[in-house]
Amino acid sequence: MQHRNRYVARDIALFSASYLIVYFAFLVFPVIYGIYLSFFDWNILSTKKFIGFKNFVEAFGDPKFLASFAHTCQFVLLSTPTIIIIGFLLALIAVRPTKSGKVAETVFFLPYILSTTVVGTLWAWLFQKNFGLFNQILAQFGLKPIGWLTDPRYAMASIVGATIWWTAGFNMILFSAAIKQIPDEIYDSARMDGAGRFATLTKITIPLLKDTTLLVVILQLIASFKVFGQAYVMTGGGPYATTEVLVQYVYKTGFSYFRLGYASAMSILLFMVILIISGFQFILGKESK
Amino acid sequence: MKSRNLVLMAVFILIAGMTLGAQTSQKPIEIGFWSLFTGGDGAFFDAMVKEFNASQNEIVMKTDTVKFDNYYTKLTAALAAKNAPDVVVMHQDRLSNFVPNGVLLPLDDYIKKAGIDMSTFEQGPVSNCRFDGKLYAIPMDVHPLIMYYNTDLFAKAGIPKAPVSLAELIADAQAIQEKTGAIGIAADNTTATYKAYTLTRMFMSMLKEQGYSTLNANNTKANFNNDAGAKAYQALSDMVNKYKVTPKQLDYDSSVADFKLGKAGIHFNGVWVTGSFEQQAGLNFAAVKFPALFGTNASWSGSHTFAVPVQKTFDEKKVMAVMTFINWMTNHGYLWAKAGHVPTRKTAIDTPEFKSLPHRAGYADAVKYTFASPDTPKWPQCYDAISDSLEESVALNRDAKTALSNMEQVINAILAR
Repeated sequence: MQHRNRYVARDIALFSASYLIVYFAFLVFPVIYGIYLSFFDWNILSTKKFIGFKNFVEAFGDPKFLASFAHTCQFVLLSTPTIIIIGFLLALIAVRPTKSGKVAETVFFLPYILSTTVVGTLWAWLFQKNFGLFNQILAQFGLKPIGWLTDPRYAMASIVGATIWWTAGFNMILFSAAIKQIPDEIYDSARMDGAGRFATLTKITIPLLKDTTLLVVILQLIASFKVFGQAYVMTGGGPYATTEVLVQYVYKTGFSYFRLGYASAMSILLFMVILIISGFQFILGKESK
Repeated sequence: MKSRNLVLMAVFILIAGMTLGAQTSQKPIEIGFWSLFTGGDGAFFDAMVKEFNASQNEIVMKTDTVKFDNYYTKLTAALAAKNAPDVVVMHQDRLSNFVPNGVLLPLDDYIKKAGIDMSTFEQGPVSNCRFDGKLYAIPMDVHPLIMYYNTDLFAKAGIPKAPVSLAELIADAQAIQEKTGAIGIAADNTTATYKAYTLTRMFMSMLKEQGYSTLNANNTKANFNNDAGAKAYQALSDMVNKYKVTPKQLDYDSSVADFKLGKAGIHFNGVWVTGSFEQQAGLNFAAVKFPALFGTNASWSGSHTFAVPVQKTFDEKKVMAVMTFINWMTNHGYLWAKAGHVPTRKTAIDTPEFKSLPHRAGYADAVKYTFASPDTPKWPQCYDAISDSLEESVALNRDAKTALSNMEQVINAILAR
């Protein structure tokens, strides 16, 4: 018996090692190294120079850091509620026990499997000012073309639009899985008591999805704060840097201007913001239970 | 039994490998290189390398077929690990990011040994690759900002020749808009795939035409918040806001497409689009050097250079092979000129092959008026910041004083750091 346990322990260690090695090499180590780097002045080719908290101090006085962080926040505020609500509405369609419900679920989820570059390029073409589909439709109705991506009034909203199409399907999957777990009896008895569709939605479905909603909100907030790829491909941060988000500035600072220490410091600041907001939400969700 | 067979086989393979290895000394020397050319240029460059490989049997140039999205990121990482290829293509304005870190080999000794006559090069582009008296790269081309114009639209609007002053430029652009309905000047002023770099390149050229560099002599401060800067900015802003000969919100790709499709009279861009304009059926155009809008000629220009990374173990044979390659490539610059670029070597320009290329003669002398970007590792960031700032001010129709002092503040902050 003891002999056998030893084998089990060995197997556990072996099987998890293959994952843990990758996990440590490509996640844990880079994170720790990033924190370490944030206290240095380093351009990859030079020798590292320890400068204490200077990188962090610089960030707070750097108008470009503050502006790009503000753009990220703008994206978070616009995208988080819309993507969650649309994901929820899609889930309501997808959970219908009909064939069309199943088809809808697949169709809504499909965009999510596409890569950032594909989504960005696709929507950049749809939004293109002179030849894009949307402006061609506008032209059909005799309307003037809109600079979806080149007009500062619309550029950020256009990026949010593309992101909704791309990622709402993921939230839908989480919501629909949770809705399917709500026992039918609850709905049946509610119906017996004369509850209408709206009442069952607001009094049963939404309250019972509270845990899932909390999870979705946290995941979506983290995803939105990390926005970069689709914005970079669609607008390049333009017009005049009005859609330049924080991660783009971090990327540019690190890999175009080769200031690895400062770039690390800025990403750690972003990490702290995400950590604080998620922690706050988590506590809030627990307390109201 | 089976395992014995395996062992025997392994031994056999090992011996075979060793004898093959012994033969490599007779085989041609293999030189690894990376280049950053994508799209139009890339095909011409690959064809040249192929021709070089076929022209002799001592050296074989090998490259990764992958075209890097982030060439300089990968290159920097490779340089740091000292496993960069034997020779790399690098923009001249990036040299100052690398030379001070000692990752590139000074080339003077090997040039002398290989017998490359540097006096056959245009001296401007060569001296821009010199740091503390040592040559760290050999320029393959210069690619200046030039002016393209649609000769059909010019004829239709009754304009006999290319504009050579600011007043003429505006008047011609207005005539084109009025008489043909086409865009007067297609020059990008909005970020999309690229930042509005043409705006910056024109601004820098206009400053230089008035004798000013974008940054001060030791690259510690902005040098454009003055009368020359005000004139240059005003000219750019007026094209968009006052005379409305350049559309608002025009990005780089659209500006190229507009000219390519014959929907724009004048187009400002680097020489690298010449090749693709030539392939456009029905487009009749001419290409000339950037006009002297403020008296004298000057045009922003980039330059592709060859540089030799420092290796873990130094192999002089390889470096000399690289010299042979560079010598061949620069001597055959007329092949490279097919992509639109201007060769840096007189021995390539003074050839019937180069002279028979259409359009190039119109701007070949632009080389004489080119100037290098400021020599500071902070230049890439300044370049981006100037582009964003000009784009914003032109879009919002700011007056020159506000525009320039905003931009000066941003640039000085970057340089002071």
